[in-house]
Amino acid sequence: MSEPFEPKILAFLCNWCAYAGADLAGVSRFQYPPTIRTIRVMCSGRVDPGWVVNGLKSGFDSVFVSG
Amino acid sequence: MEIVGDLLDISGIGRDRMQLRWVSAAEGQLFARYVTEFSDITREMGPFDLDKFAIPLAAVEQTLNSPRIRWLLGLTKQLTERENVYHEKLDADDYKELLRKATKEEYEKALIAVAIKERPCSVGEISEKIGLPVYTISLRLNELEKNGLAELSGYDGSTPKFMGQNA
Repeated sequence: MSEPFEPKILAFLCNWCAYAGADLAGVSRFQYPPTIRTIRVMCSGRVDPGWVVNGLKSGFDSVFVSG
Repeated sequence: MEIVGDLLDISGIGRDRMQLRWVSAAEGQLFARYVTEFSDITREMGPFDLDKFAIPLAAVEQTLNSPRIRWLLGLTKQLTERENVYHEKLDADDYKELLRKATKEEYEKALIAVAIKERPCSVGEISEKIGLPVYTISLRLNELEKNGLAELSGYDGSTPKFMGQNA
């Protein structure tokens, strides 16, 4: 039994920009794949490069940073 | 973040595993499009093989935490817009080149440090483990020794073996 590969993407979203954007995408019912797991940060500048590495280490397939 | 991309490239993990995109609060549609695109890219690349990349990933992490890289990144503005203590100023391209070179060297050192962390290895064994040429390894090993991060731990016949040190 082989299921098709569904990627798991870690997303760091800035509270003021992309997180609100994601919210808007939801409210306006734009379709996007359920592949991302979101972490809200207060600013995308807050994202430490080490977190990206940590994300990959904990089993995510890729990391998306957006602000 | 650019440097993370460089590192992911050098380590063979691939720059595409990390993406940075600007989306404003009013751009829900754009956000949806980026997520769709990135999902497709990731799907194409396939799952991330954690076992295969364990050593490179550890080395990437160590590189990002290395004092040299942190100092260089912290001094970006100082070096490119003002001047250093010798009244030298770098233009942006020179600085980028410097950073790239430093990143590569630090990454190689980190790889070696990871390889000899568990048990003593000869230069040949290290080369086998991480795939760098022997000559590069002896150069970097020398630097590691100077900084007290590696030391000669004994001989196997006449082959010197090196062991990592926690500084």
